[in-house]
Amino acid sequence: MMREVRAGDVGKLEVLFDRHSQALFRYFLYLTSNRGVSEDLAQEVFFRILKYRHTYQPESGFRAWMYQVGRNVYMDHIGRNKGEVALPEDAKEIRSAETPPDREFQRKQEAVLLRRALAAMPDEKREVLIMSRFQDLKYEEIAAILKCEVGTVKVRVYRALRELADRFFALSGERAS
Amino acid sequence: MNCEKIREQIPECLGGRLDKAARERLVEHLETCASCRTEVAELNAVWRAMESVKAADADPAMKLRFMEVLEAYKAGAGQATEMPKTSPRTGWFVPLHPVWQFAMAASLLIGGVLLGRYESKPQPATPSTEVSQLKGEIESLRQLVALSMLQQQSPSARLRGVSYSEAMAQPDQQVEQALLYAVNHDSNVNVRLSAVDALQKFAGNPDVIHAMAQAIPVQDSPLVQIALIDMLVQLNAKNEMPALGKLSLDGQTDDVVRQRAAWAVQRLSGQKKEASR
Repeated sequence: MMREVRAGDVGKLEVLFDRHSQALFRYFLYLTSNRGVSEDLAQEVFFRILKYRHTYQPESGFRAWMYQVGRNVYMDHIGRNKGEVALPEDAKEIRSAETPPDREFQRKQEAVLLRRALAAMPDEKREVLIMSRFQDLKYEEIAAILKCEVGTVKVRVYRALRELADRFFALSGERAS
Repeated sequence: MNCEKIREQIPECLGGRLDKAARERLVEHLETCASCRTEVAELNAVWRAMESVKAADADPAMKLRFMEVLEAYKAGAGQATEMPKTSPRTGWFVPLHPVWQFAMAASLLIGGVLLGRYESKPQPATPSTEVSQLKGEIESLRQLVALSMLQQQSPSARLRGVSYSEAMAQPDQQVEQALLYAVNHDSNVNVRLSAVDALQKFAGNPDVIHAMAQAIPVQDSPLVQIALIDMLVQLNAKNEMPALGKLSLDGQTDDVVRQRAAWAVQRLSGQKKEASR
């Protein structure tokens, strides 16, 4: 499909938008914790795809190329907003430990703590974890996006997950048994 | 296999991506290694919990906004190829007003330059060293889209055009002229009001401020007139005090607008006195 867009049939970009924009939006939402910003960034990616369609090389696949563009867009966003700390949108949901525990509350609290733990991670670790766990990208695709070896992706995903676990257990005050 | 290599495979295993042979080796190792069993248990707990933080979907309006941009882009690219075939003032898409012609010519020029560049020299992927160049080119695309959208038939598309002009880091003269034209001639009040706000970016140009003052008497909407007056006060446009004073005494003008003009003169003269102290 992207080959057709590259050849000048820019209307086909609508099909690619339908297929990938939600995943891209969620990728940015995990990174920024802000819906409005994430929608803008996802749009910006398709803007650039439109603009740079002639640079598309089909070898690594459209998804990998789209996320490469997405990373550039995110880095530009970070550059423009230096000093602004992204906080999870639902941080207000965190309640005191005295609240009576029930399963639903525990699940919600767990989700809030995980978001906080994710938000606190360094960008490069968070992004590799997001790609692997949420975006359902294969290690080969992540390697193409990050321009590194598959073995390196494997190590990075493991270390990122380990760090997330450490941060999560530190926040929740417990460890798995 | 040592513990380190085994642990690196845990995320793949949790994600169901480890092949059978590797999975069997991992299980075999876990049977004899308590610390790796703990590692799997901890990472599994977090991996599963991550299911609960899956992000929600985007607003469906995101698609509508994208389609507006895509249609505007296609329209802009179409104009770039159709323009030479049609003589001025005979094609339905050729605006009659000189300002619009200027705006359209500028958008075609930008589009032509961009298209020409792509046709003649395929660009490499976007390495970080070219970020500033890329930003500049994206800015050009925004200008093209903003100018193209400001010419759409639908008021909502023109409003988006105004928004795009506001998103530009450094709007250029063509966009400035297109916005001024929108203030004076757009049939939709909301588009005119948004264009007034968007013109704030051009406060450094005295011609724009003067054009805004000149636009007030010809407006048929008191809302837009008041927005223009307020903008002049906000921009501290002291040179426009005579025009505002005249407006405040004009019996043909809406009462509320005249009162606002009188208030503006008072405010601007007050600011003048403060500045001279």
